[in-house]
Amino acid sequence: MSTTTVTTSTGTAARVADAVKVYGSGDTAVRALDGVSVTFPAGRFTAIMGPSGSGKSTLMHCAAGLDTLTSGAAFIGDTELGRLDDRRLTLLRRDRVGFVFQAFNLVPTLTVAENITLPMDLAGRRADAASAEWTDALVDIVGLRDRLHHLPAELSGGQQQRVAVARAFAGRPDVVFADEPTGNLDSRSGEEVLGLLGRAVRRMDRTVVMVTHDPVAAAHADEVVFLADGRLVDRMESPTAERVLDRMKAFDGKGAPS
Amino acid sequence: MNAAVRISVSSLRAHKRRFAGTFLAVLLGVAFLAGTLVMGDTLRASFDTMFGNAAGGTDAVVRSAATITAPGEGQGVRRPVDTALVAAVERTPGVAAAVPDIQGAGQLVGANGEPVGGQGPPTLAGNWIDDPELNAYRLAEGRAPARSGEVVVNRGAAERGGLEIGDTTVLRTPDPVDVTIVGLATFGGEDGMAQVTFTGMTRQDAERYLTARPGEAAGILVRAGPGTGARELVDALEPVLPKGVEAITGQELAEENTDMVSGRFLTLFTTFLLVFSGVALLVATFSIHNTFAIVVAQRTRENALLRVLGAGRGQVTASTLAEAAVVAVTASAAGLAGGIGIAAGLQALFPAIGFPFPDGGLVVGRQSLLLPLAVGVVVCLGSALLPAVRAGRTAPLAALRETAVDRSGASRSRAVAGAVLGATALAVTLTGVLASPSLWLAGGGALLALAAFVVLGPVASTTAVRLLGSPLARLRGVTGGLARRNALRSPRRTAATASALMIGVAVVSLFTVFGASLKATMDQTVSRSFAGDVAVSTPSFGAGGSGLSPRLAPALDALPEVDTAVGLGRGVAEVEGEGRALTVTDPVALARTFDLGAVRGSLDDLGADGIAVTEKEAGKRGLRTGDTARLAFTDGDRETFTVRAVYGRSELAGDYVITREAWAPHRTQDSDTLVAVTFADGVDPADGKAAVERAAAAYGGPDVQTRDEYARSSAGGIDMMLTLVYALLALAVLIALLGIANTLTLAVHERTRELGLLRAVGQTRAQLRAMVRWESVLVAAFGTAGGLALGGFLGWVLVEASDGASDSAFAFALPPVRLAVVALVGLAAGALAGLRPARRAARLDVLRAIATE
Repeated sequence: MSTTTVTTSTGTAARVADAVKVYGSGDTAVRALDGVSVTFPAGRFTAIMGPSGSGKSTLMHCAAGLDTLTSGAAFIGDTELGRLDDRRLTLLRRDRVGFVFQAFNLVPTLTVAENITLPMDLAGRRADAASAEWTDALVDIVGLRDRLHHLPAELSGGQQQRVAVARAFAGRPDVVFADEPTGNLDSRSGEEVLGLLGRAVRRMDRTVVMVTHDPVAAAHADEVVFLADGRLVDRMESPTAERVLDRMKAFDGKGAPS
Repeated sequence: MNAAVRISVSSLRAHKRRFAGTFLAVLLGVAFLAGTLVMGDTLRASFDTMFGNAAGGTDAVVRSAATITAPGEGQGVRRPVDTALVAAVERTPGVAAAVPDIQGAGQLVGANGEPVGGQGPPTLAGNWIDDPELNAYRLAEGRAPARSGEVVVNRGAAERGGLEIGDTTVLRTPDPVDVTIVGLATFGGEDGMAQVTFTGMTRQDAERYLTARPGEAAGILVRAGPGTGARELVDALEPVLPKGVEAITGQELAEENTDMVSGRFLTLFTTFLLVFSGVALLVATFSIHNTFAIVVAQRTRENALLRVLGAGRGQVTASTLAEAAVVAVTASAAGLAGGIGIAAGLQALFPAIGFPFPDGGLVVGRQSLLLPLAVGVVVCLGSALLPAVRAGRTAPLAALRETAVDRSGASRSRAVAGAVLGATALAVTLTGVLASPSLWLAGGGALLALAAFVVLGPVASTTAVRLLGSPLARLRGVTGGLARRNALRSPRRTAATASALMIGVAVVSLFTVFGASLKATMDQTVSRSFAGDVAVSTPSFGAGGSGLSPRLAPALDALPEVDTAVGLGRGVAEVEGEGRALTVTDPVALARTFDLGAVRGSLDDLGADGIAVTEKEAGKRGLRTGDTARLAFTDGDRETFTVRAVYGRSELAGDYVITREAWAPHRTQDSDTLVAVTFADGVDPADGKAAVERAAAAYGGPDVQTRDEYARSSAGGIDMMLTLVYALLALAVLIALLGIANTLTLAVHERTRELGLLRAVGQTRAQLRAMVRWESVLVAAFGTAGGLALGGFLGWVLVEASDGASDSAFAFALPPVRLAVVALVGLAAGALAGLRPARRAARLDVLRAIATE
């Protein structure tokens, strides 16, 4: 158990309770989530792991308000997402959630700077001194000051993901969801992006939930939750790549029953 | 099934929606074309039947051989025949009956005091012919006229005028004649010959009111005895007839009439409509081309995969073309059906709104079936050809690359080619307008200008959209900014989409500018030439009405409020062998009420053998004052006139002026077209106008207008024409809008992931919709701006070239309000076109969008 993380975790950034998600109906129905309850504490970096089809992406989508649950409940802070209509859900994503996707994170017609401030611009928010300072600091942290006025197409894949990370944290959201953020990157760029996520949590007290299937990526997290067949099967504090890999291998053996 | 065809059919099935816009564009264009052609066929057939009926049992017609036609006149004036000839005709072997046919203009006044038929269809009067074989009209109710003042009218006219048997009303010939209706007639089983009104009177009345001299008739109708054919009858009549009089069969007369109507009215009418369906199809070409270009670009990976798997270039091209062919054939067929439907609908609609169209079944000629189909297929396939070839050129390696969306825009060569084209266009046009005025040169230049605009579109679109969109980004924040950048993404696509609208708007503004200029010209003409206080006139368009009574001008002249009232009548004669319109009037009074410009010689004393000529005509014929000119009249007389005056302005007074005295021996049914009035000194204009109106009431209450009102009403026909043109162009604009909507839908499809991302990071549905709508408005704004510029320029060219090429002076006018309305309509249309794509984009499932591939 790592002491640095426990001390900062005070509340719950996001959680799901008895989450069930069924796709399709009748004979072709698939239970992507089958009664998952999990809490993502604030100020922590949580990784969701599991083999393909385990429901990890579905869990993230439902927890982040991109998708709706068949039954059960999802919360961002104290807000229950199921009670929100599409507009409120959109506003919640804009103001309280950040996203980093595997690819296609940036609007190709907007410059780096514009992409970073996009959620705030969509909100029509005037940048006050504090948020301008914060954004400015972010730009330095992700190391893109000299690229601010470039278009995404002029950046490398790693640089694009770093912009996405900056955008995700720009509005100081309650929680940032990252969906395989390093899936399309070489290992060095991936390492950079993961480093940025980790630093954001530890130094700036942010909350990150990351879906990954890569044990090396998962090792950057404070805690790993393991999903298989739509169920939460295990949790691991202070993971290392070797332990995660072992754990994964373990339920490759016994974890593919039905 | 061949592989290419199989691929294209399955692809069509999978992407039905993508081609919905193309399908509609082809359908609408073809429907317009087919509708026009079928309507032409139907009208031609109806006129055929109508004139066949009119000739009915008439086997031969005896009439003068020669006509005199003034330039710009539809029908020439035929010299009357002597009714004394009837006896000679009757004596000819094979003739069973012969009757004189007296014809003239006669407008009935309805029960409500309004003239029946207004200024629309012809209002005819003639002698009622008792021989049922020789009379195209049948007595349906009542009896034939027996005494002076008794008339038969066709049932349709009676109904429209609220008149019944026994009613007494006024027939304007144009002198008012009191008549009593004693019978109602039908024509070919219908209530009338289309919307034409007919009044049949006794022969004596007809001779008295409709001809200049008793003993004259338009012709003699002849019925053959048993066993004599029409041709034999004509052959038998020829030797009996004096020189200058001919006999033709009834059949030939019917054909002649049909030819005349189809040759003049119908050809004009269908050509007019064909021009507009051409515009619609041209606009359609752009949007179809654009759709296929986008679809091919979006399918790059798919086509590359086919190439990797071994498909040849030709096969990929063929599969795209086959797709186009399926759309082309189905859409053209649907368009053809739609066009026939439109024609049927219009046929039902026109009589209902009182349009003078004949009845009869719908007629669809073979050409009207095949031509629209062929045009539809050619337009569609032609538009898809380039994109199909491009599809064939897809490199197999493209399958491995990230989907490449066409972002190419302004190539250097395009800019150069466009600039050269534009410069050439300008040079040719200016030559045609300024240096050596010629409508052909100017027209050629105008076409080149259009081509230059289309070629330069992608070059200009970046700058233009950036400019037009800059207020948007400021006012609408990130939504507006995104819309603007989306419109800037593919300059070529934006330009192609906008081009369709540009052409539509250009034609609209061309007509708007030209119409306004014509109005300004008329205004200028009237204010320059008309020196009177009020004008009494009948509206200047339409074939109906019977003009103003020649007794009106003297009656007005006698009023104490009036200083001078002068009537202008129209005559026709051959001057030195060429048909010319004459203005029959009192030249002395004319000079007081009209500004004739500089006059050489004197108008005071033309007498019975003097004539006044405009400078322009005099110059053409080398006439000076004191010279003589030979005039041949419709009655066959030839006389030598002395040119006593040459005057400068012809706009209202006409080219030749002769006195009533000189015209009297040769006159036909008399009527004036305009009476110009000046008030006596000290008369209040309102009092004077009221006095004129009171006096004119007895003559059918024609319009009494001040100078300004007269100028405005002269231009009234232009507004009516413009309204019609706008209605016809609405279709082209609609097709352009479909193009914009279609391009946007495809773009939305292409940007699925990006839209999903925007939604994920917090763009609301409303913001997303606004973004797509604003993009649509921007593209439309670009097209509209280009169209206004092009249309304004072409309007100027047309006006200036007409000014240079014709004798009359044209004034150029830019109507700011109307053009602003055109601009607003263009923008509103853009917003409208964006509605559906915006809704579809907003319905996008965020998750699906993110998850795509």
